[in-house]
Order: sequence, then structure tokens, then C-alpha cells
Amino acid sequence: MLYVELIAQGLVQGCIYAAIALGLTLVYGLLRILHVAHAALFTLGAYIGVLTTNATGSLALAFVAAMLVSGVAGVAVFRLGYQPILNRPPFVALIASIGLYIAAEEIFRIVFGASGLSFVAAPLQSQVPIFGGLQFKQAEIAVMLGTALIIAVLAYLQNRTRIGVACQATVSDPQMAESFGVSLQMVRDINFFVGSALAAFAGVWVGLLNNLVEPTMGSVPAYKALAIIVLGGLGSVQGTLLAALTLGIIESFGTIYLGKVLDRNAIAFAFLIAVLLVRPQGMFASK
Amino acid sequence: MLRIDNLTCGYGSFLAMSDLSLTLRPGTITGLLGANGAGKSSTLMCIAGHVAAKAGQVYFGERDVTGLTPTERVRQGIAISPEGRRLFKDLTVEDNLRVGGLIHPAAEFKRDRDRVIDLFPRLGERITSIAGNLSGGEQQMLAIGRALMARPQLMMIDELSLGLMPKVIDLCYRALLTLRDEGMTILLVEQNTDRVMGVADDICVLESGRRVWSGSAAAARNDPTLSAAFLGLH
Ligand SMILES: Nc1ncnc2c1ncn2[C@@H]1O[C@H](COP(=O)(O)OP(=O)(O)OP(=O)(O)O)[C@@H](O)[C@H]1O
Ligand SMILES: [Mg+2]
Repeated sequence: MLYVELIAQGLVQGCIYAAIALGLTLVYGLLRILHVAHAALFTLGAYIGVLTTNATGSLALAFVAAMLVSGVAGVAVFRLGYQPILNRPPFVALIASIGLYIAAEEIFRIVFGASGLSFVAAPLQSQVPIFGGLQFKQAEIAVMLGTALIIAVLAYLQNRTRIGVACQATVSDPQMAESFGVSLQMVRDINFFVGSALAAFAGVWVGLLNNLVEPTMGSVPAYKALAIIVLGGLGSVQGTLLAALTLGIIESFGTIYLGKVLDRNAIAFAFLIAVLLVRPQGMFASK
Repeated sequence: MLRIDNLTCGYGSFLAMSDLSLTLRPGTITGLLGANGAGKSSTLMCIAGHVAAKAGQVYFGERDVTGLTPTERVRQGIAISPEGRRLFKDLTVEDNLRVGGLIHPAAEFKRDRDRVIDLFPRLGERITSIAGNLSGGEQQMLAIGRALMARPQLMMIDELSLGLMPKVIDLCYRALLTLRDEGMTILLVEQNTDRVMGVADDICVLESGRRVWSGSAAAARNDPTLSAAFLGLH
């Protein structure tokens, strides 16, 4: 029963990682940029989520607001931050991205205060018995269902709509895609919007599960999401999803069995190093 | 149909093609021949708008298309199956065709796709396959099919037969003749000189970024200097 519980806890964490890391994968696949500032959009989403919930009492509204605001902010980061330096070497964008993230942390501190915000009446906190004495917070169940739903919808849109197919073609060969009439600007905007909205989705859940939203809450997800997309084989969406879930479960077991020697984040990176020693191309890369 | 006046193009200060003039007659196949590095692919990519012209003009019909983007040229009716084919390797055959037809309404996709499948029934059998998993011949059919989805009047094909089995080459050439008989104008780059001479109406020979011969295929066959020097025919 402990195992089942650990796996389930790992899946909850893994879903959150997946929602964060997907945006990074999309951006990497499209532009070959390691978008560290992505984590700022995660934090922004968490703030919008807690503020909206406290103001209106509606968590659903909080998700909509957080995803819209972060989505638009993500497009702004792309257009103002990355677009002007797209033809420079990739490390230029990486440095810009790290700078943006640090600046964002400070802005959160100045605007929302250093000590963080909590939910006045945090929703979805009661325990739900599943079977055999196993219990979950409502919020944890909702994280898993919500992530699965959102990813299923995105997969559907990507494979069944013209815009989705155009996005995939652009990742494969931007010059050819553009010549057949794909607007690169639109594809890039859409990817930043969707990726950032997903980060906000994760941010709201993390804020709710910890009942705390603080300026630095993005720093651990920032580098952990980078680790995940490397594990997933850089740019592979399925690889990223599997890597996120695997990492969630490894961490969950690790904190029980290795918790005395390594903390949660150290376990994640020990795992990353171990995998890369054996498979430098990532866990799930085909080539 | 397509008229090229004194076209010069290249990369940075390097000129891949200088001062090329060439006219394609509507509904004909023109073979563009030359050794490796002669500038054939650069010329095709310049006509398609992917390589900028440094001097000269490209007229398509009555229209000067020299300054247009690749997309605008596709909308005008100029399509290319480029060197290396450059398929969307992670996408299915059907999705590759879908992207090829993006400039047309979604409602017309099925009709256009079925026309491509009529031309290359093999693509119909592989419609759900991932393009990267296709055989070389199937990939070439898909590259041509994807370009056809834009409903071009001018079709440019680079290295049609490269790496393909003779049977597949036959099939592709039969398709080209069908397209020409329907009125399409075709500009064909080939290493395989015998093949081109078999179907082409006109021939243009390039050498080191310059045009060294052009005329009808019949004249090319009868020109002893050309046969020996450039075509390796006997
Ligand atoms: N992207 C590029 N950047 C710089 N130089 C290039 C580029 N593409 C081609 N060239 C150069 O331009 C010249 C003409 O190349 P091009 O590919 O047009 O020749 P080609 O006739 O198609 O040759 P092949 O038969 O080998 O395909 C060559 O010297 C080549 O090295
Ligand atoms: Mg070539």
C-alpha cells in the first residue's frame, strides 16, 4: 500500500513537472532556446491564481485568469525578449532568459511582498478515501485529472487541426513550412501562449497544494524543468511527459528511502546524472 | 510562362549563378543540367524565392516576382520539390500533403489529396505512415505530391532520380509526363542525363555558375560538341 501511495504522490508531482516542462520543450523545439524565464510565468500564474481566488472565491476563474495572463505575458517575453535576438548564437538568448528570470523574481518581491501570499480559504483541501485506507486531497486528484485532460486536448488540437499540423511542420523545417504558407510569427506566438498558460496551470496548483505563493517559487522548477527536457531527449513532447512522470515517481520513492542522505532536489539531479551517464541523448530520445 | 533575365544569385559574396537568362515555355519540360556545384539547385531555390537574387529579374507570366517571398511565389503558382526533398519527417504522409495545401481552403483538401493519390497510388497506401519512415522513392513521390497540393502552374524538381531504383524512376517520370500533358510547366534538375533527354522538350546546361548551352532537346541531341562535352551521350 505504501508503494501505491508513493507512486500516486509521484504522479501528482510528475503531472506538475510535465505541465511546466512542456512549455520549455515547445520553445526548444521551435527556436532552440533554453527558456529559463519560463519559470517566471509559472510564478506569475500562481500569483494571479491566489489573488483571483481570494478576490472572487472561484478557483475556476482563477485558472482562467492565470492561464490567460501568463499566456499573454509569455508572448510578450518572446516578442520583446527573444525575437530581437533570434539570429544571434543560442547562448545570447540563454543569458537574456536567465536575466529575465532574475528580474522577474525581484519584480514579484517588490509588487507582491517578500513573504508570499496564501489562500484565505484554500479550496479542494479535504481528503477523499480511495480504497484500503488510501486517501488523497481533492486537489491532488484534480491535478492528475486536469493535467491529463489538458494534455489530451492539446494532443488533439496538434494532430487534428491545420494550425496544429502547421506548428509541427514548423518544428521540422521552418523554411519549408513558411514557404507553404505557415506564418512563423503565429506559430511562435501560439507556442509561447500555450506553453506559458500550461506553466500558469502548474503554478496555481503548486500554490494551492503548498498554500503558499512566493517570489522564489519558480527557481527550483526552473532548473528541474531543464533537467526534465534533457532527460526527455530535448524537443520531444512524449519524452518530456514520460521524463516528468518518471522523475516525480523517483523523487517520491527517493524521499522515503534516501531522504536521510539526499533531499528531494538532490535526488532529482543524482537521477539526471545517472541517466545521462548511461544515455547521453536522454532517456527517451530515438536517435 | 517563366522568364529569367540576367539572373545572378549566391551566398554572401560568392556567386552560385551569374547572368542566367532562360525562358520556360508553358506546358513543357525543361531539363537543367550540369556537373556538381554548377549552380542548378541555387537557381531553383532562387526562382522559388529562398535564395535572394543579386541582380536580374524573374517574371512569372506577366508578373515580376523577383522581390516576392517564397510564400507569395507559391500563391502565384510556383512550387518546388527541393534538393534533399526536405519533407516534414515527423509528420504523416497526409499531414505533409496538408501543409502543402495550406494556401487553399481546408474544405478542398480531400479533393486535392485524392488527385495526388491518383497520380501516386503508393502514397494512398502509406497515407498514415510517418514521412521519415518512407522509402526513398515514396519520399520523392511525397515531395512532388506536397508541392502539387499548392496547385502550381510551374513545378520545379531537384534531383528527381537521385538514389532511386529504375522502376521507381520510371514511375516518377510517367507522372511528370501526365502533369505536362495536363498543361503544367516543369523545370527538372537531374544528374541522370539520359533520363532527362528522354522527356525534356528544352535543355539548359550550366557550368560553374554560367549558362553554357540552351535550346531544344532535339538540338541538344544533334549537337556533337554538347553531347561529348556535357551530356556524355554517344
Ligand atoms: N547555402 C550555401 N551557402 C554557401 N554556398 C553554397 C550554398 N549552397 C550552395 N553553395 C555553393 O554554390 C555552388 C553551387 O551549388 P548548387 O548546390 O547550386 O550546385 P548544384 O549544381 O545543385 O550541385 P549538385 O549537383 O552537387 O547538387 C557550389 O559551389 C556550392 O558550394
Ligand atoms: Mg544540387
